[in-house]
Amino acid sequence: MRKNLFKSFFLLGILFSIVGCSEEYLEEPKPAGQVSEEVVFNSRAGVEAYISGIHRAARDQFTTGHDAGGINSMYYARAVKGNDIIQGPTWFRFDYEQANREPTYRRTNFSWEFPYFMINQANTLINGIEASETLSDEEKAELMGQGLALRAFYYFQLAMEFQHTYTYDATLPAPPIYLELSLEGKPMSTLQEMYDLIISDLTTAVDGLNDSRLNKSYINKAVAQGILARVYQVTENWEGAEEMANAAYGGDVSAVLDASTYDDGFNEMSNPEWLWAMPQYADQTMYYFSAPHAQADFEHPSYQGTYINSNFVDEFSDTDVRKLFLAYNPDVSWQNYITTKFNFVDFGVDFAIMRYAEMILIEAEALYWQGQVDAAHDLLYKLQLNRDPQAVKSGATGQVVLEEILVERRKELYGEIGVEWFDAKRLRRGIFRDANHRVVVDLAADDKRFFLKVPQDEIDANDAIDDSVNANR
Amino acid sequence: MKRKLSGILTLLLVLVVQIAFAQDNLITGTVTNGEGMPLPGVNVLVKNTSRGTQSDFDGNYSIRASEGEVLVFSYLGFKTAEYVIDESTTRVDLTLEEDAAQLEEVIVVAYGTQSKRSIVGSVVSLGEEVLEEQQLTSVTSALQGNVPGVNMLTSGGQPGENPTIRIRGIGSINASAEPLIIVDGAPFNGNINSISADQIESMNVLKDASSTALYGSRGSNGVIVITTKKGAFNSEPVLTVTAVGGISTPAVELHDVLGTNQYMGYAWEASRNAYVAAGNDPATAGQLASNNLISQLGYNPYDVAQPVDASGNLVPGANLLWETDWEDEILRSAALRQEYTVGLNGGGEKTRYFLSANYLEQEGSVKESNFERVTTRLNLESDVRDWLKVGLNTAYSTSSQNYPSQSGSSYQSSIQWIYSVASLYPLYRRDEQGALILDGFGNPIYDYGQNEGLVNASRPVFNNENAVGSLYKYKTLNKRHNINANGFAELTFTDYLSFKSNLSYEQYIFDSYVYADTEVGYASNVGGRITQNRDITTTINFINSLNFNKTFGNHSINADAIVEAYEVEFDEFDAAGEGFLPNVFSLSGRTTPTEAAGAINMERLVGYLGRVGYNYADKYFIEGSYRRDGSSRFSSDTRWGDFYSVGGSWVISDENFLNDSPVLSYLKLKGSYGELGNNNILDADGNVLYFPYIQAFETGWNQGENTGVLLGGVVDPLLTWETTAMLNVGLDFTLWNNRVEGSAEYYNKESVDLIYSQPLAPSTGNTDITTNVGSIRNYGLEFMLRTRNIITDDFSWSTSVNFSMDNNEITELTQESFISGTKRWEEGRSLYEFWIQEYAGVDPATGMALWYMDVENAEGEPTGERVLTDDYSEADRYYVGESLPDIIGGFSTDFKYKNFDLNALFNFSFGAQLYDYDYAGLMTGFATLGYQQSPDLAARWQQPGDITEVPKLLNANQNFASTSTRFLFDNDYVRLKAITLGYNLPQNTVESLDLSSFRLYLRGDNLYTWQTHEGVDPEQSISGTTNSRSYILKTVSLGLNVKF
Repeated sequence: MRKNLFKSFFLLGILFSIVGCSEEYLEEPKPAGQVSEEVVFNSRAGVEAYISGIHRAARDQFTTGHDAGGINSMYYARAVKGNDIIQGPTWFRFDYEQANREPTYRRTNFSWEFPYFMINQANTLINGIEASETLSDEEKAELMGQGLALRAFYYFQLAMEFQHTYTYDATLPAPPIYLELSLEGKPMSTLQEMYDLIISDLTTAVDGLNDSRLNKSYINKAVAQGILARVYQVTENWEGAEEMANAAYGGDVSAVLDASTYDDGFNEMSNPEWLWAMPQYADQTMYYFSAPHAQADFEHPSYQGTYINSNFVDEFSDTDVRKLFLAYNPDVSWQNYITTKFNFVDFGVDFAIMRYAEMILIEAEALYWQGQVDAAHDLLYKLQLNRDPQAVKSGATGQVVLEEILVERRKELYGEIGVEWFDAKRLRRGIFRDANHRVVVDLAADDKRFFLKVPQDEIDANDAIDDSVNANR
Repeated sequence: MKRKLSGILTLLLVLVVQIAFAQDNLITGTVTNGEGMPLPGVNVLVKNTSRGTQSDFDGNYSIRASEGEVLVFSYLGFKTAEYVIDESTTRVDLTLEEDAAQLEEVIVVAYGTQSKRSIVGSVVSLGEEVLEEQQLTSVTSALQGNVPGVNMLTSGGQPGENPTIRIRGIGSINASAEPLIIVDGAPFNGNINSISADQIESMNVLKDASSTALYGSRGSNGVIVITTKKGAFNSEPVLTVTAVGGISTPAVELHDVLGTNQYMGYAWEASRNAYVAAGNDPATAGQLASNNLISQLGYNPYDVAQPVDASGNLVPGANLLWETDWEDEILRSAALRQEYTVGLNGGGEKTRYFLSANYLEQEGSVKESNFERVTTRLNLESDVRDWLKVGLNTAYSTSSQNYPSQSGSSYQSSIQWIYSVASLYPLYRRDEQGALILDGFGNPIYDYGQNEGLVNASRPVFNNENAVGSLYKYKTLNKRHNINANGFAELTFTDYLSFKSNLSYEQYIFDSYVYADTEVGYASNVGGRITQNRDITTTINFINSLNFNKTFGNHSINADAIVEAYEVEFDEFDAAGEGFLPNVFSLSGRTTPTEAAGAINMERLVGYLGRVGYNYADKYFIEGSYRRDGSSRFSSDTRWGDFYSVGGSWVISDENFLNDSPVLSYLKLKGSYGELGNNNILDADGNVLYFPYIQAFETGWNQGENTGVLLGGVVDPLLTWETTAMLNVGLDFTLWNNRVEGSAEYYNKESVDLIYSQPLAPSTGNTDITTNVGSIRNYGLEFMLRTRNIITDDFSWSTSVNFSMDNNEITELTQESFISGTKRWEEGRSLYEFWIQEYAGVDPATGMALWYMDVENAEGEPTGERVLTDDYSEADRYYVGESLPDIIGGFSTDFKYKNFDLNALFNFSFGAQLYDYDYAGLMTGFATLGYQQSPDLAARWQQPGDITEVPKLLNANQNFASTSTRFLFDNDYVRLKAITLGYNLPQNTVESLDLSSFRLYLRGDNLYTWQTHEGVDPEQSISGTTNSRSYILKTVSLGLNVKF
């Protein structure tokens, strides 16, 4: 019996020895693959890693739909809304039909959630840099500039996608504004408030940034100036647009253009004409989310969705380097042409987000609007001559010069950033389709279909926004 | 645990266990039952010693005992008898009294065993005889239709997948609602399909607080306790050989789809209607539709260029060049199943053993899908000393599964393909004239719909894919290995005090391999891709318990003190590469490595447990348990949780006033209450969150060569246990001397501090936060009734029915409502009530679909009045049904006539609704040309004045098939889950063959299904939505079971 008692005490000892060290035992497991806030904001390398992560997220497969991934899919959705490109019956077909805007649709949700996801990251970045005690003021201004430009870029997308253009009525409701992490939904802002923030952010960013950057996918001073030039196009601050566009490309047309690279496939960010890019790699790719390449290339496996309006093809002279079209199906009017501009050679194709040529054309347009029609025309011709050595300067004067600039924008930027839609919306012109389209739908000037309804998910979870936000939308 | 097996085996042997003492008497005797028949295998023990024996075949025994000692005679199904030895005793002949309800049956419960009589909670035990009545690829399937309160869904026809199990409703949303599975005392983290049915002695379902409270933080969703077989002491080796072979086909038929000729006519009509809607006059529209039809479809399966004329008719003389029956190409017409088992069990005086090996191969409904498994197990237990018992259960199993995509929305997904790709698209490549294109060997080439050419080249539906080709050109292999070692040592200090230490180790390796072809399909542009994952889950569980059990006269007390430490390590490793030569299937052959990732996560849990039970005269029982748990999933401030339960029971039939009742043989009233926890927090995709309380920057977001991190989703740092309070009240009874046996129970489970992903306004940059929000209640009634209708020497018939009525109700939310897919959550509603647009048929004037919308007053509040709208975005959503059934259950019947037996098991479900997305996709009315459609479109609106429920065909971005009650169906069903006709060779024949038994049987599984909505299997998902799932199989098989 005594032996038994001894044994039982011994075992009780084991039993309760575990009790003593249980807290330690439970503390031991630590998260794998995560980094704390201190690590991120206590060094330049940490902040740059965060900025890298944000740029990486800009090309994430954000939804399950192959038409709603990164910023490139927002741009391509705009591109198919015009007259120059005809989208086949595949992804983006509902954007093409000007009908993809209801509160529960993937496009609507994506165009809302994706920019806000990026804005929340940018806010965390900005506020983290601000609070950091180890970064120098100079470093702070430069890193903060990248954050502010990112935030402004995505607010700009929201402003464009969810309301009439700024000049239509700046008092109209625009998506809510957040400057820091919030768990509470905020009420709708106004277009005026939103553009005030965008311009203020970009102005601060331009001041703080310099020319250096890790690579072409990051934001430096010129990129921030380029974004601001686009914003000024919308707010019609032509003086600002001229200044920013000129600064962004440096003012020397021949230095930033290399016509021989135009037919390289639009898939390498090393292209000297590119100002801001979104790169991909074999191990960091959106795969088939890679619009426009995954839509437009008919040579490599792709969705083969992009056809080119034959009337648009006819606008190019045969010696224009940008005339990258192949006859496809002469029997079906909407299938007459395809383009070889975007080569989907592999999953590592890069996207151009901003090119110098666009900056040159913004400057030309800004000159025009400020009454410097000849200067505008001269600048335009510089670009035309670069693209087509046999180009002859037109005899246009007055408003015809503007029209020529706008045509040049379409010829230069087709398939890239939705230039037709952007111009039609900001200039309040409408989009009119030729009869050879697959779906002929016209948008009148200031048509509601230039913007989306507010997502139902937002209305459901945000106490400050109710169903009435979509009334008359 | 049941001793029936050992009882039977004792027939074959005579045994004596003696521990001799000089002054002892040798006592001999015979044990008989009430009818004077000898009882073999009765345990005869000298009380408070370890001396014991069993009676032989003729009921005789002998044992040594000295004056004053007490002999205890016990036998399953009989009341235990005692006899006090005096100086002169040499012979004790005893008649054991039958215990009417066999209530001394011992049941495995949480951290131990209890007699059935003493259980105060809700426990249902399935023995091996139930498991043997079905073809079980996954053993937990046996619970369906056999255990009230268990809602089970087997989704899809891929063999080797496990059913979804919900015990007593759905108590969690963003924490797992799966029950805890315990195998031989230790939590099981592997894949349950690694355990074959032949290894299992019993599977018990613990449903209420008192039975699960000891699992504390993991018990709130119920517990399934699986006990594997052991041999019997003092029994000769028995070798069992079983062989079963069968053939399977889908249990229900698929939705019908259109043939090509009809498809073309309808497609034209849809196109014409779109041109009319765009402003063309009907004649022009008809001509445009005719002109453009082939270019829109991309393919022309006819021998004329424009096969449909301007009036929508097939032009005379147009002949079909091909027509593809995708169902035929993708699904098997007969899938084979074969299973073989060899088992050996037996035992000596001190040691017993069980050894088994099982091989199973089953093909799935989709071609190339299969499951192959080998399981082995060795269980050993030994009484080393009279105070020391040790045991070790070891198991190894390995399985491989070829798992072609057969649910969801990837292009090659089998069922989706059948329901999406029209029959006009060819299986093999065709040239522009429609002739087959052959490869260099003269073989046809799968058409991936991504070719150069104007026609028969580019398919608008799932281009660059071919689901039939994908079955052969892609590989999706899952391999699983499960190693299990579970050992214990039990020390007995005195007859009332013992200590048990149990250490279990489990390693589960999941290895997946996905190959995408180099030349066709989704990775062809990068020369193919191989992706491999290897996940190693290692679980160590260490339980130490001190057990006290003593009876003082009429008072019995038992008490346990337990400490448990639990650790799971999840080690995942993934790698992928691209750029392979054709027919190179190993990752090393890649040109470009595209992924190398891995992480090791760990979780730990410590629990301190206690249980005290008291009973008076085996009539009044009371029991209480308490557990304190700490989990590494919560912050140090919130990680400890306290869980408890109290319960009691009263055997009313033992009271004097009922003692002599001729009707009532047994009546027990029981009740329990307790609070349990759940820490198994999942993300939106169902993955485990190991540190849900930490918001951090996640690595892996690299931009080229630059390291990148990204802020993870917002978290609640004070997240803590989800707690569930459970009440259970029940009545167990038997009537007319065991002819009728039944139980009725009521339960009420209410979660407090529910773990839930609360939706956030997406404009905040986060779409949800996991936090302790709100409360859900599940309550219901369960009934079970077993009757022995006829019992004669040659013929017996018994039936059993069980059912439950379970209800789910949200009792607290922090905001007025949440929308969750097709459901909206609101206080007082169920989690699973559909909240969708209500379809109002078709506008007879325009042919457009109509839905209801509210009329609003000046303040924007609904007035209660409703009007119709053809603008889907204006339609309002309403509560229109629920995906949870009102009543589920099962019914079984057993016949035995001489050597034949026939048993059948039905399970049923009534009152649930199913949203059929698969069917909705077939009824879009040609929103997109090329997608397969249903023949039900025949009832479409065609001209003003038509009254129908099916809108006009319209090739445009329309909402006709958008979510609405149009595709919400009643989903009642009754399924003949298993039916078996068996024949046992007569005993004398068997013996003359030197066998101990020989059985032959014919079995059908899922042979017949009655359902209110046809075309999909009624078992889809808890939330009542389809997802292009493959179909459950029905199987007819022939089996042979021989015991040597």
